[in-house]
Amino acid sequence: MIERTTAVPTHHSGRRAGRRPGVPPPRRPGAGRPRAGSPRSPSGHRRRFRSKAHGSRAGWPTYLILAAVVIVSAFPFYWTFVAASTSNAAINRTPPNLVPGHHFMANVRAALANVPLARAIVNSALVSAAVAAGTAMVGTLAGFAFAKLRFRGRRALFLVILATMMVPYQIGIVPLFVMMARIHMVNRLPAVVLPGLVSAFGVFFLRQYLSRALPDELLESARIDGAGNLRVFVSVVLPLARPAMAVLGLLTFMGTWNDFFWPILVLSRDDPTTQVAIGELGRGYVPDVSVILAGTLLGTLPVLVVFVVLGRQIVSGIMHGGVKG
Amino acid sequence: MGGVRTRVVAVVLAIASVLAPSGCAGSADGAGAGRITLKVRLFGTFGYQEAGLFDAYMARHPDIRIEYSTIQDSGQYWTALQTSLSTESGLGDLQGIEVSEITDATANMADSFVDLGPLGASALRDQFYPWKWAQGLTPDGKVLGLGTDIGPEAMCYRRDLFAKAGLPTARADVAALWKNGWDGYVAAGERFRAAGIPGSAWTDTASGMFNAMIGQSPEQYYDASGRLIYDRNPAVATAWGEAMKIAAGGLSARLTQFTPAWNQAFTSGQFATVACPSWMIGYIKSQTGSLDNRWDVTTAPGGTGNWGGSYLAVPKASKHQQQAADLAIWLASAPQQVAVFEKTGNFPSNRIAAADPAVRDFSDTYFGAVGDPAPIGRIFGDAAGRLPAAVLGARDQVVKDLITKGGITRVEAQGQDPAKSWAKVVRDVTAATG
Amino acid sequence: MGVPSPARPRVRPEPAAPLRRSVAERLSPYGFIAPFFALFAAFGLYPLIWTAWDSLHRVELTNLHKASWVGLDNYTYLIHDRYFWNAFWNTMTLGVVSTVPQLLMALGLAHLLNRRLRAGLFWRVAVLAPYATSVAAVTIVFAELYGRDYGAVNYVLHTVFGLGNVDFVNTKWPGQIAIASIVVWRWTGYNALIYLAAMQTIPVERYEAAAVDGASRWRQFRDITLPGLRPTILFTIVVSTIGATQLFGEPMLFQGGGPSPELGGSDRQYQTLSMYFYERGFADRHLGRAAAIAWAMFLIVVLFAAMYAYLLRRIRPDGEARL
Repeated sequence: MIERTTAVPTHHSGRRAGRRPGVPPPRRPGAGRPRAGSPRSPSGHRRRFRSKAHGSRAGWPTYLILAAVVIVSAFPFYWTFVAASTSNAAINRTPPNLVPGHHFMANVRAALANVPLARAIVNSALVSAAVAAGTAMVGTLAGFAFAKLRFRGRRALFLVILATMMVPYQIGIVPLFVMMARIHMVNRLPAVVLPGLVSAFGVFFLRQYLSRALPDELLESARIDGAGNLRVFVSVVLPLARPAMAVLGLLTFMGTWNDFFWPILVLSRDDPTTQVAIGELGRGYVPDVSVILAGTLLGTLPVLVVFVVLGRQIVSGIMHGGVKG
Repeated sequence: MGGVRTRVVAVVLAIASVLAPSGCAGSADGAGAGRITLKVRLFGTFGYQEAGLFDAYMARHPDIRIEYSTIQDSGQYWTALQTSLSTESGLGDLQGIEVSEITDATANMADSFVDLGPLGASALRDQFYPWKWAQGLTPDGKVLGLGTDIGPEAMCYRRDLFAKAGLPTARADVAALWKNGWDGYVAAGERFRAAGIPGSAWTDTASGMFNAMIGQSPEQYYDASGRLIYDRNPAVATAWGEAMKIAAGGLSARLTQFTPAWNQAFTSGQFATVACPSWMIGYIKSQTGSLDNRWDVTTAPGGTGNWGGSYLAVPKASKHQQQAADLAIWLASAPQQVAVFEKTGNFPSNRIAAADPAVRDFSDTYFGAVGDPAPIGRIFGDAAGRLPAAVLGARDQVVKDLITKGGITRVEAQGQDPAKSWAKVVRDVTAATG
Repeated sequence: MGVPSPARPRVRPEPAAPLRRSVAERLSPYGFIAPFFALFAAFGLYPLIWTAWDSLHRVELTNLHKASWVGLDNYTYLIHDRYFWNAFWNTMTLGVVSTVPQLLMALGLAHLLNRRLRAGLFWRVAVLAPYATSVAAVTIVFAELYGRDYGAVNYVLHTVFGLGNVDFVNTKWPGQIAIASIVVWRWTGYNALIYLAAMQTIPVERYEAAAVDGASRWRQFRDITLPGLRPTILFTIVVSTIGATQLFGEPMLFQGGGPSPELGGSDRQYQTLSMYFYERGFADRHLGRAAAIAWAMFLIVVLFAAMYAYLLRRIRPDGEARL
């Protein structure tokens, strides 16, 4: 999409005495960070996932409410699996059927026969990874410049970037399509990748991170050693920015995976992304709702796996500047 | 752990960035040396793939490779096709066009499509139903679209529900219920409702009936000069009036066609009748699977009409126009149309195919009672022979959707006043076509 | 808040001044920002300008090269277009019914998550799980759950409250609430985590002092937590509002298919501005009108952003001003 990311900075930019947690937490001091420590000791926000001292100890009502929330969060997933493992007839039962059946694999096979879901998942993985990697790189380059380099128009240009976050993505859809047509990208995956790389949020995110995590002294000493900006970037900034790049990449990956409006317009049904394929399944022509839901679940699974495996990083990423997609 | 994961992410991203360019190249033509790839882009189920026709064609023409794709939703397909045409990108060598859009194509997009006549299609001219052939011509007589199927109408009904309601179940007797036209159909519906079968309505939606009725009229939403006349055409007013009896009279299950809820209702018996163009036969079978011998088919009330059917066209942007035309002509020829009918029930637009015994004498054991299969070849063949030559308009599809999905649903499912709902239809159509 | 607004003086110190700067070094910053701005110019700015141009023309999707100048006609048309205003109000009401409960629940949830919890990470990941789903996938599922005849929601309504089968797709308020519930389901956990992060920046000492003064839990929440979160709350309101302004996928897919989903129900009862844009641009092929709608949407977002900047400035000066 042209621009669908929105920053949600969570910190009161530093004027509150003392506490200025970085964006995102440099986890594990020493691991993957350059030797030079940041001016603030990271230990101040290391134990982010253990509750803060000011949180009172949770009693059973808290757990009860949280459990209820988790059940509401999880129910649609569970129901989807139940429906995807049974048949139309079971879905239409009253009271609603809540016991999984044993047709899941058969339904998955039927879904795969209806839309090229396997290809779609591979496509989505490629597109999302490319957008994630590209956004992280472009964002780090520009973020570094805005955080640490002095040049004319710096402030104005940064404001331009912030302003682009407000543009509704629908605005440019048609011209964008025409442009993709001119460069012969319609129905090809780069048509989804290229606009996805324009991430004002990525620039913003990395700028916030680097202006805190990259000590000026470190830059100075590198320059005294005679390093130019490019060398500084490669040998100092990139290693330091890696945790933030990873979080940005992760959030961008999920956002791109779930993107829907633009891919549906610009990609064809025989070479789709996952959301295009799922949308096609759900269009009402596939007779069996359980087949539709099996395909939907299958298309959601990769992101769910990423989510479960990297949940900690995603949570920390959102807590330090979320992505809305 | 955090550090390891960070590294894993970094590696994944790095690999992906290396892979991405090569992955993107994957969508390019994979044609081997000397082989021509024809991209066939259709919507819904034309039946070619299902009947194995593409494979057969490739076997006969080793130099041709066919790459087929379909979009289920015809509206979405049409939007995509228009966008592609205006930018000349992402087009296939052979594209499908639905009947409610064919006039838009012949009137407004003639420059974007190839004249199939000189490429060999003219030879088929006399094989087609004349009205079908004529609809595919541009104003200056170029052959833009070559007919695939047509949609002669019948009425499908649930034998078991009819029996339960004390209505006759034999095809001839059922047809006799509405021998005086749609009023008879509505009257039978009232009898059905009076029987009070829980969870079952007379029909799925008044919209289906409206479409069937309109299909019986030579003039529909436009007149021959291309002017919108939907708001003063008595045929539209009559169809709207009958639809209101169904909608406001509680005779419908208040479903929207082509939604999952509608699909499910075929199996659950939520409605006893559904207006049945020939392509609906395949649709019902695909919905209801193992429910053999519950549904049956008989002649429609009020004569016969056409609902649906499509065309094949070759965009000018195609690099293989002659080869694409050859394929279209082959697909439109009688033997292939017979094969599609046998597989899907899509009724031939080619009269030779329609007269073929394989079509004419075809009975479907899925429909009708055990030992008394429905003679759908004869039912639809008779209907096809009496179809009026309808006047089509450029925005037929838009007008139709605004009347059915908008106007009728407002009365049927939201209980709005019919007159008010019609006023909204007029406003909608004005805005959409202005 | 971390977003510099134009009116705010710069807080951060100037970056370190380099020692010696060659011409190349002086130009190199532009090299660093060039990739972003090149991409932005090509895929962001250029389409934007094109659309602005389109909005002053009558131009059809099927004939992009034949545009005729109409000046501001497309905009004046919108002002008198009742469907535009219908979409506008639907967007607003959908925005309210999806944003208000979402943020209130997120606040409560963050409050709970801020306690000392066993398996704290588990709870955070679990409440965030809906965020991992896509609009396309989740709307298909919710459309089933909200089904008129067999939906689980109607079953609960029927057995617990004795209500008849609600036809969510064909009624205005139940439909809007159902659509909003999809948004709420997906985003509540996400906002809770943002609030949680902000809560953790509130100094512990304040709570301790309040506890010494004998303030109740509720008073602590009201007098310390809420004021501390005020800028964050304001920000999430604006962000959610901007998101709501662009709401498209949920109402579009909620009907589960059928013709003309962009109408947003047969009476346009939940047609949003994005859907109206789609209707005029892609169903009716009236690109000029669609472009005008898109720019109107942009204007609405800008108004919200300006309102936000204004409110932010009022509460900003060292937290002294009150909302």
